Amino acid sequence: MSAGSSAVRLKKELASLAETTERLSRLSRRSYQNPYSAVEWPATARPEDEWFSSPEYLSLYGTPEWEKLDDPGRKRLAFYEAVNFYSLNIHGEKGLMEGLAARLYRKDLLEISEYLHHFLDEENKHSIYFGGFCTRYAKVYRSRQLPVAEKPPREVDDLLFFVKTMVFEEIVDDYNWVQSRDPRLERIARFINHNHHFEESRHLIFGRQLVTALWRAYSPGWSAETQEDVRAYLEQFFIMTWREYYNPDVYVDAGFQDAWELAESAWSLPAQREHRRAVSAKCVEFLRGIGLLLKEPSDAF
Amino acid sequence: MRSSQEIREELRTWILAKAKRLEPETLTGTTALFEERHLRSVHLPELLLLIERLTGAPVDVENLQAGDFRDLDTIMLRFCGEGRPR
Repeated sequence: MSAGSSAVRLKKELASLAETTERLSRLSRRSYQNPYSAVEWPATARPEDEWFSSPEYLSLYGTPEWEKLDDPGRKRLAFYEAVNFYSLNIHGEKGLMEGLAARLYRKDLLEISEYLHHFLDEENKHSIYFGGFCTRYAKVYRSRQLPVAEKPPREVDDLLFFVKTMVFEEIVDDYNWVQSRDPRLERIARFINHNHHFEESRHLIFGRQLVTALWRAYSPGWSAETQEDVRAYLEQFFIMTWREYYNPDVYVDAGFQDAWELAESAWSLPAQREHRRAVSAKCVEFLRGIGLLLKEPSDAF
Repeated sequence: MRSSQEIREELRTWILAKAKRLEPETLTGTTALFEERHLRSVHLPELLLLIERLTGAPVDVENLQAGDFRDLDTIMLRFCGEGRPR
């Protein structure tokens, strides 16, 4: 299968997205935000007095360590896990903005450029909210994702970029949705989760359609080895994404000893594995539905 | 506290579990893990977490160089205080 025929398929697939991207662009213009005036930040946060994350979504929920914590200790953990969640988003969005900017006005992606502008703009604004919280009340946790010079073929690179974005955002969105509706959460934490969920709903629609389009356009021209490689990469991406929710740096700040061992035991806890599987289920079902994944990425669960 | 031999063994086991096309007998201390694409960038966060857990110390992620994870010997030298085996 030649590159020429995959270009023809891509053009056809992207044309079928036109109606969606026009609608999403209209919605983005309608809900255009100023992140500097949309929120009133409290002067301080009270980590041991208020919930900043839903307890059932914490990485230590269900562990013996969780059972031993008193109420202020649980809330303190929930605060640092919120900081970690926002930090993960900041790091994820940095990579996302780079990738979106690199694809703006590329000839073969011209059809979606207008929407990529909105996507990029909105991701920057999300990072302003997340960064606003982290820098006011705590810090931005370090990322263990490091740049490695990898240069896959452009088609593979494009598909992986957009499918990674989609997986990351779908997992985050489940947390946002649950936490935006949790009346126990402190006001600003609910706002950040609600706002992100509201905005991301457009990105999720775009993400699923674009991933489908790219997979349909490119994969028929790929060897079985390339397809297997993409699947293996994606399976490891699920593991990588989820591993970062079990951050030893959080456990140190929450007052735990043996933070790395704790991260490992929490990761392996059956209840936590089930949580990861449940949160990932819709996304995995979608990827299996279009044939991008052939099986569940079980090592992540 | 784990000995450097134990750390090396655990890292080796992890690498072999991730690098599906790498046979135990072909994984040496100098096998180029990323250059030969046995591992990819997407493996790094998990590898870093493992190194931190095995050594009991955080890795300064802002001062990492390309090549710090080139092979098992380099990883042991860079993060686990071990010289190349004689």
